[in-house]
Amino acid sequence: MDPTGFAWLGAGLGMGLAVLGGGLGIGKLAASALEGMARQPEAGNDIRGAMIVGAALIEGAVLFCFVICILLALK
Amino acid sequence: MKKLLSALLIAALTGLVGVSGAWASDDEEFDPVHHAADGYYIDLEPGGKIELPRLFLIRTADGSLGLEFFGSTASALRSGHYVAELAEGHGGAEEDHGDAEHDDGGEHSAGTEAHAATTDVEALIASGAHLDAHLVPAQGSLILDLSITRHLFFGVLSLLIVMLIFVPLGGRYKKGTGRETAPRGLFQNMMESIVIFVRDDIARPNIKQNPERFLPFLLSVFFFVLVANLMGLVPHGAAATSNITVTGLLAFFTFVLVSVNASKEYWVHIFWPPGVPGWIKVILVPVEFIGLLSKHLVLCMRLFANMLGGAIVIFGMIGLVFMGKELYGIAGGWAAGFISVTLSVITMFIKILVALIQAYIFALLSALFIGMAMEEHGDHHEHHPAEAVAESAH
Repeated sequence: MDPTGFAWLGAGLGMGLAVLGGGLGIGKLAASALEGMARQPEAGNDIRGAMIVGAALIEGAVLFCFVICILLALK
Repeated sequence: MKKLLSALLIAALTGLVGVSGAWASDDEEFDPVHHAADGYYIDLEPGGKIELPRLFLIRTADGSLGLEFFGSTASALRSGHYVAELAEGHGGAEEDHGDAEHDDGGEHSAGTEAHAATTDVEALIASGAHLDAHLVPAQGSLILDLSITRHLFFGVLSLLIVMLIFVPLGGRYKKGTGRETAPRGLFQNMMESIVIFVRDDIARPNIKQNPERFLPFLLSVFFFVLVANLMGLVPHGAAATSNITVTGLLAFFTFVLVSVNASKEYWVHIFWPPGVPGWIKVILVPVEFIGLLSKHLVLCMRLFANMLGGAIVIFGMIGLVFMGKELYGIAGGWAAGFISVTLSVITMFIKILVALIQAYIFALLSALFIGMAMEEHGDHHEHHPAEAVAESAH
């Protein structure tokens, strides 16, 4: 197997794992946020804002991986 | 009725994509990354391509500096001052389909430095490959390629749009409309509500001391990023924020603002953390220093990767049409077209949301970093847990 094949394999697997982790993280975040909102509907707006920031931070980590995978697949 | 309409719309769009898919010649490759990347032209397919001006800072053969300007890539090549160095395909696409000849690029092996000094400039220009080529001066060496690229063009365009909106609006407030009276007109009301959102939800909660001082920066960043993000969704447009140099510069501005406005405590906490044993300082100080830089690096990477990722996903989905056609013929192309148009329309709606959220996040994190750095010792309770608990109790 040639090295480029391994690079593509790595890129694909890496992206899959990153999405898995990010999905779990955002799922957990949304679950807790919804629970919090259900318990305290009046705090809903604050929780939503914090949730979006948190989701963006998790997404940032996944997107790092995305950039690395793109580089792996191209170089 | 609405469902019928949307079904019709999707069918019409499928037709459009299907027809262009049928037109695409077989030897043409589809590479999403290439379409999302920067380039020296504005793609108006099927209406042709507009070449952007090229500007080079070169060191001429006799050692002096020179600035050369050309109206387009083609004219730079025709002048004879520059030769095209063809890239090996678009990234990995070449190896993917070894049989597909990429115009003249196929004969140029990867990694070699040999300039494909194409003697036949006109043939190269006719094939269109010159647009993706790397230009090197025939004599002397290239110092800086200052050419106007697609991302620069759309970045400046979004800057102009922001100025066109806000300079007249600012004039209105100077005259008193909106300050002494209620804001007039749909436009002013709309923009004022967004400005107030930035002030009340981004600047004020995060910057404790004098948040109004940073409002001009936060507002400029917010609106520039927002408009630049949305430009990526305009047909034939490109998002300037999907270029890492643009987001890097924006993050650098935040870094400068944070560093200039930081309190003494901020620097002390990084370079000489109080209340920490000496041997831990050896570990902690480098970590804190990396943290200082990486915060801003992440700020730049997040916006860049988000916009680039979205563009690649959309292009990849459109690429399914070509894939379906390759694998199952024209019928496969039409079937894949229906699926991919539906998917990419949904993705575009998500991208509108992402454009808004990313502008919000960028401004919010900038405000957060500035606020954190400006914090005086009395404002935080990290080292006095009991006090912090007492504070949160009432």
